[in-house]
Amino acid sequence: MNVTDTGKMSRRTFLDYLLGFGVVAWLAAVLYPIIDYFKVPPQTEPAPSSVIAGSVKDFKPNSGKVFRFGNEPAILVDTPNGKLEAFSAVCTHLQCTVQYRPDMQKIWCACHGGVYDLNGRNISGPPPRPLAEYKVAVKGDEIIVSKS
Amino acid sequence: MKKSLLLLVIPALIGFSNAAAAQTQQKKPVDKCFSCHTDIGDDKVADYTSDVHYKAGVTCADCHGGDPTVEDQDAAMDPKKGYIGIPKPSAIPQVCGKCHGAGKTAFKTNFHLNDVMDQFMSSVHGRALNERSDGPTCISCHGIHNIVEVQNSKSPVYPTNVTKTCAKCHSNPDYMKKFSPGLPVDQYEKYLTSVHGERNKAGDPKPATCVSCHSNHLIRPVKDPRSPVYPTNIPQTCAKCHSNKEYMAGYHIPTDQYANYKESVHGIALLQNSDLSAPACNSCHGNHGAVPPGVSSVASVCGTCHQANADLFDKSVHKEAFARAKLPGCVVCHSNHLVRPPNDAMIGFGTDAVCGKCHKDVPADSAAGAILAIRSTLDSLTNGRKDAETLLSHAEQLGMDVSDASYSLRDVNQSLVEARVQVHLFTAGPVKSAAEPGLKIVAEAQKSALAAVNEYYFRRHGLGVATLIITLLAVLLFLKIRQIERKSRQ
Amino acid sequence: MNKESKTMRWLNERYNLSLIEHIAQEKKVPQFRGSFWYYFGGVSLFLFIVQVVTGILLLMYYQPGAQTAYESVRFIVTKVEFGWLIRSIHSWSANLMILSVIIHMFSVYFTKAFRRPRELTWYSGFLLLALCLTFGFSGYLLPWNTLSYFATKVGTEIVAVVPVIGKPIMEILRNGSDVTTATLTRFYGLHVAVLPAIFTVVLGVHLLFIQVQGISEPESWKDLPESKKNHIPFFPNFVLRDVLLWLIVLNVLAILAVYFPWELGHKADPFAPAPMGIRPEWYFLFMFQSLKFFPAKIFSIDGEVLGISLFGVAGLLWFLVPFWDSKTPKGARNRIANYIGIGVVLYIIVLTAIGAR
Repeated sequence: MNVTDTGKMSRRTFLDYLLGFGVVAWLAAVLYPIIDYFKVPPQTEPAPSSVIAGSVKDFKPNSGKVFRFGNEPAILVDTPNGKLEAFSAVCTHLQCTVQYRPDMQKIWCACHGGVYDLNGRNISGPPPRPLAEYKVAVKGDEIIVSKS
Repeated sequence: MKKSLLLLVIPALIGFSNAAAAQTQQKKPVDKCFSCHTDIGDDKVADYTSDVHYKAGVTCADCHGGDPTVEDQDAAMDPKKGYIGIPKPSAIPQVCGKCHGAGKTAFKTNFHLNDVMDQFMSSVHGRALNERSDGPTCISCHGIHNIVEVQNSKSPVYPTNVTKTCAKCHSNPDYMKKFSPGLPVDQYEKYLTSVHGERNKAGDPKPATCVSCHSNHLIRPVKDPRSPVYPTNIPQTCAKCHSNKEYMAGYHIPTDQYANYKESVHGIALLQNSDLSAPACNSCHGNHGAVPPGVSSVASVCGTCHQANADLFDKSVHKEAFARAKLPGCVVCHSNHLVRPPNDAMIGFGTDAVCGKCHKDVPADSAAGAILAIRSTLDSLTNGRKDAETLLSHAEQLGMDVSDASYSLRDVNQSLVEARVQVHLFTAGPVKSAAEPGLKIVAEAQKSALAAVNEYYFRRHGLGVATLIITLLAVLLFLKIRQIERKSRQ
Repeated sequence: MNKESKTMRWLNERYNLSLIEHIAQEKKVPQFRGSFWYYFGGVSLFLFIVQVVTGILLLMYYQPGAQTAYESVRFIVTKVEFGWLIRSIHSWSANLMILSVIIHMFSVYFTKAFRRPRELTWYSGFLLLALCLTFGFSGYLLPWNTLSYFATKVGTEIVAVVPVIGKPIMEILRNGSDVTTATLTRFYGLHVAVLPAIFTVVLGVHLLFIQVQGISEPESWKDLPESKKNHIPFFPNFVLRDVLLWLIVLNVLAILAVYFPWELGHKADPFAPAPMGIRPEWYFLFMFQSLKFFPAKIFSIDGEVLGISLFGVAGLLWFLVPFWDSKTPKGARNRIANYIGIGVVLYIIVLTAIGAR
């Protein structure tokens, strides 16, 4: 502090203080979004619009498999004719998870006995609507199911 | 041989084109077939004298072939001269078609009789005949040697007779299953129970018979879109008579059903959108046993398709109340032929409301509260959805991603549909609980739309603040640099 | 001031900081007409730091894989607080960084700063540019959207044109014969681990060279006496100017991110037909457009092969510029090299403009 001109000194320190304040403000402006970025987002899992349901090898005609599709279960059915069909496995009645019944060759809901045919149409019992249908594509060995 | 002896030969080649003209002419040369067979007392000849064809100058040989001019039996009935004897069933349409075939001009004034043979051959009956020799031919319906005009009440195809004529085969399971095992054989029985059938039986030729709907010679399978009884054609087919004021005069029933039906949700679905699952006249009235559904059965008729609604209605207070007042169930609110797509305005006491027909918006009417509650629940759901959509589209215009919320709004529809179904219980509670999930989604969507809009402004304001800070810092830095440089230059 | 010196004393007791102090005091930057261009090195460095920071932040949520890549980026953009900002800044900053590096390179070229003794600085810089382009190419695929999927498909296909070695290289790049999830995994590994590691080392070497040799003086100063040369101290004058510019760049990035958020597009569908108008990122556009102009066959050589070979040769010559533009008479400018440089700049600008239409 060997500055003779006090006015000069005060101006300089003033500028330095301002500069310090500016740097702090700037740091806050930069760090605020970055810290916020780490907040737990409302939905912890990104919902995919397509999923690999399994390998072709694992399926034989007249069988079905429930798999996870985003936050919902879905069902992949290998029909008795060997055709692959995929639907939402959420029963349209009361949102139970449906299953494939090889003995009936139908999709069946255990909660109230709702029955869907292999096109997902509600054919008996309480379900008010057909099951949502998904697109099935086979690439190589993988069965890819997607929401069309 | 003996039969052939009975036939005589007359000049066969009287121009068929002259046959119509021959109606009034005298028999010129003696028809040996006719004279011989008369002599031996053949009753077919006796029958034939009353036949419309005899009067028109059609000779035996015109159908049976041979030479009617010679006396000698063998010469007259010589196959070389075209004698065919009794035509084989499969050949009968061709025999009749000599005059009644396409391109023939036998009937200068009655053209539609010209091409009946071709119509017949492309009909279900023609196909049946092609498949089996015992299939139907012309004579199955019209008879053989005693054919009279259709207008003649003795004709087997006269309106009061034709149903029995068709029933000869169509009510015979043994016969029908040879051709079409899946086809029912109870049409005639049902017909007799219908209003058409009852009147027909009483001798009234005007009510519909088989041919009124199915046509006559050119009967096509019901699944053929050209058939008059194909679902999309049925309304028009019924309307042929039922929309004809003159024709229906004397029956004292309205004639506006078709006009109303066309405008109805069912008519639009069937006639404009070709939705074959939509009901035509017969879906409610029946076809062969057509009767108007009675007051008591309306709900069950509608309930064949609208099952959930009918079930709820059956459990509701209106079921019994309507029955007591002899009110026809569903029709009370939805009308019959002119069923419009239902809307929420039907509930309440406004101009479009149907509740007001019986109820009054006064404290004395205990139902008024429930009516208004139901309406307000539905309104809050529809309006809430509309508001959410407006908000979301605003957020979208601002470039925010609200696709999740927009997607969730699709489930509101289900809730709304379910709530609207619950209306048929006519109490407020079930409607409310069905609407609940929808209201929740709507609230969520509105919230996220608002959040998105706020976020948009937050981003811009945030940028403004950040820019301000950075600018300030930059200016200060600039001052500092200047200061340092000035100092170093000193 | 007291506080600062106290800290310095504390540090100095433990580590001998006099060397750093010495460097900071001695280092100076020439001040002349073209010194504005000297800032682009610093801007590139700043943008690289931004890339590292935002890249690490994106890593917190990004999930590679066919079912998660697109969805997780979407998740970052829509659900994570300020995710949209981080992602947009990462994308914008990547592009500005490449632009800044290119400008930096041309400024070095035209100021002849690559000449002896700074050949190695040029080579390492060239390597950094190549790494930047690889960064861009590999990062472009990571959101797994339609455009990036097909751009990667086309981009890797071009490699296969090279005879003999082309196809194996393409398969190594793609981690298979087609662009699949395997490619995504490979590009992801490159983008977040391999490239940053190499880049950091090369960048360190590049900066070390500059530190050791000092900042290049312009050609025109060759004959000037020391007294006429105008320098400013590197610290704090140049550094503060640098920081000032960085602040402005940061603000520009924020404005771009808010007003022109980087689009995410639609999820890549390997079964869908290629969309109209696929083109690579703008910095590959001039090459892409040039290849389009090549005839299918030139003297029985495949046009594409020839084109790629020409670009390879041109790139090599550019890389080797310290060799062929090294000897000049004292003080004289090598006009030919300048004309070539101007030609290259014009060529890139014109073809990029045509390609961008």
